[in-house]
Amino acid sequence: MRWSAQGGAVTMPRMLRPTLAIDAMGGDLAPDEIVRGAARLTLETDLDVVLVGDEPRLSALLARSRHNPERLAVHHAAQSIGMGEDPRQVLALRPDASILVAARLLAQGRADALITAGNTGACVLACSSELRLLPGVRRAALAAVFPTERRRGAKEDPFSLILDVGASLDAEAEDLVSFARMGAAYARAISRNPAPRVALLSTGAEPTKGPPAVVEANRLLLDVPGIEFIGNIEGLDIPRGAADVVVTSGFVGNVVLKLLEGLSETVLEVARYAYKERLMWRAGLTMLSGGIRHLKRITDWEQYGGAPILGFDRVVIKAHGRSREQAIVNAGKVAAKTVAAGVIDAIASRSAPEAPRLAEG
Amino acid sequence: MDQASRVYRWDLDKTYLRTDFDSLRGLLRAALEKASAKVNVAGSAALLRELQAVEGARICVVSGSPRQMRRTLEEKLRLDGVEFDELVLKPNVENLIRGRFRAVRDQVGYKLPALLDGRMRVPSFAQETLFGDDAEADAFVYSLYADLIAGKVPVSTLAEILEHCGLYDDDQARILDLAVRVPRGAPAVGRIFIHLDAYTPPARFAPYGVRVVPIYNYFQAAVLLFSDGHFGPASVARIAAELSQGYGYSLLSLANSFQDLVRRGFAGEKAITALRLAFEAPDAMIEALKPAGGVIETFLQRISMVAGTRRPKAADAAIDYLGIVRAEGPPRKWRAGGRRRKIAGGPF
Repeated sequence: MRWSAQGGAVTMPRMLRPTLAIDAMGGDLAPDEIVRGAARLTLETDLDVVLVGDEPRLSALLARSRHNPERLAVHHAAQSIGMGEDPRQVLALRPDASILVAARLLAQGRADALITAGNTGACVLACSSELRLLPGVRRAALAAVFPTERRRGAKEDPFSLILDVGASLDAEAEDLVSFARMGAAYARAISRNPAPRVALLSTGAEPTKGPPAVVEANRLLLDVPGIEFIGNIEGLDIPRGAADVVVTSGFVGNVVLKLLEGLSETVLEVARYAYKERLMWRAGLTMLSGGIRHLKRITDWEQYGGAPILGFDRVVIKAHGRSREQAIVNAGKVAAKTVAAGVIDAIASRSAPEAPRLAEG
Repeated sequence: MDQASRVYRWDLDKTYLRTDFDSLRGLLRAALEKASAKVNVAGSAALLRELQAVEGARICVVSGSPRQMRRTLEEKLRLDGVEFDELVLKPNVENLIRGRFRAVRDQVGYKLPALLDGRMRVPSFAQETLFGDDAEADAFVYSLYADLIAGKVPVSTLAEILEHCGLYDDDQARILDLAVRVPRGAPAVGRIFIHLDAYTPPARFAPYGVRVVPIYNYFQAAVLLFSDGHFGPASVARIAAELSQGYGYSLLSLANSFQDLVRRGFAGEKAITALRLAFEAPDAMIEALKPAGGVIETFLQRISMVAGTRRPKAADAAIDYLGIVRAEGPPRKWRAGGRRRKIAGGPF
């Protein structure tokens, strides 16, 4: 069967036109910005969208937005979880929370991917309760991309992948190995990089450097087939692009990611300050504005939309908590690409066979 | 006088036909292309065919296309199997020759008298349903027409409204003359369907009240016309089938369209029941829509996803036409999807 946009132009077959379940109530700027992003997705892409949240409120917002309702449905969820709430305390008390309902739709096969800009912990817990972890995966990992000096893969991708950046705080050696497998599979499928270089983030390049879990993971990864493990790297190697996949625990990964984000924003703030301060600086910056805009574009998290939470048997994309319309549009595109590239199958096929050996090792 | 009891008045461009008159190239193509090359808005021909089969129906087309296109448009309607009773076209070349440039884009000065004139050719009991689009001022013109024949807009107020529309004096005088002569009575216009060709947010039409129903496709119109008793369930099924088979609409997109009507308050329990009947109709056409036998379930699932049925959010009060033209300027300058504002700021 062929599916099409209004007007009869035949477009993508069903398997290439995923349905996205979007948690409309999650995020600092929800639901307004989330609805705007979803509305744009219905006009700019071939994707089908199910907005999950307070239906009367979402319907009122949609009525004020340009959108294509033929590609959009609203699924009512009477409850939601705030960004500052402790998900372990509130999730069980709110069975109709938008993130839980969205995860349920995903589990039931009524959506192909889930997008949320909401509370990360709530997202991971909701997915843990509704979805299954892939065989050989003990813990899900949030994987973020960061621009580097190097280009990699068939697509000349400038981005390296860092995981985990906050799905959980701690990670044991087996978890880090599992993250390495998932990250490598993701990089192969999305960046079309046949042999991504995988590294552990540590305090030195020597295999004995770092906390016990990292030392142990280093030892284990040397014996894992199918992974181009290059050893440990340090923080300064991340922007240099020394590795295509950087593996770390959620706590460290989140700190690193926020630091990199903060640096990028600070550089631009300094440039804005200088622009206002002196005429000469303004002239100089105006001449450099093309380059600065390019720098902003490649370091702007809104351009990447969202980070996949790897390890579940469905595609889950976590958008930034401060996501605006554009970030949601891009998160939708990331989700569609992840579904179309068959990332889940790729991870499952790379994770399962070696898992028992890891446990033994 | 025609003994029609139901009058269906249609615009053509962007309502019945997919026309691009936003660019010179599109305008030229629309003027020069053959009837067989013209493309319908999805489902429009199917809906018109169902409407012309309604007992006592009169199909009237009032289009802004130039009179020189009459033969092509007649041929197009004939190719689509549509029989019309009236086809009114705009004297655009005449307007240009006489230097009446404002009239070329103006809708009020052309459509309102055409509608009033048409009303005088049908019995006063005839009920009307109007079809337009969001490209220009159809919602405004149609609503004003509906309120005029319902006696809700005094001629003195009409004169003031027309003054703000920036019409030529002779157009204004003609409209006022027709407004005085047109029979007035109980509300005759039931619904005004506005096809959202440019995806204009439906809330923009809230000032026109619940009579104006912004629709994204003709399946939505078919469902409401069915629940209003214009035609039977087989008609809805045939329109859905044409959308599905001729324009690639999926069951999901039709179900989403229905959910949209429910969410906006236009489809309540009555329409849900009507739709259930439509899809249970023993019609061969509907069989084509049942790839997995789950048609009704798909629709019910979409309905169960919303928090409940509701009334549409639109003004119940009389339409403030003067307020609208004062706020938005003359209707001839209205365009759907205006230019995006440039965002102010530094170089980065």
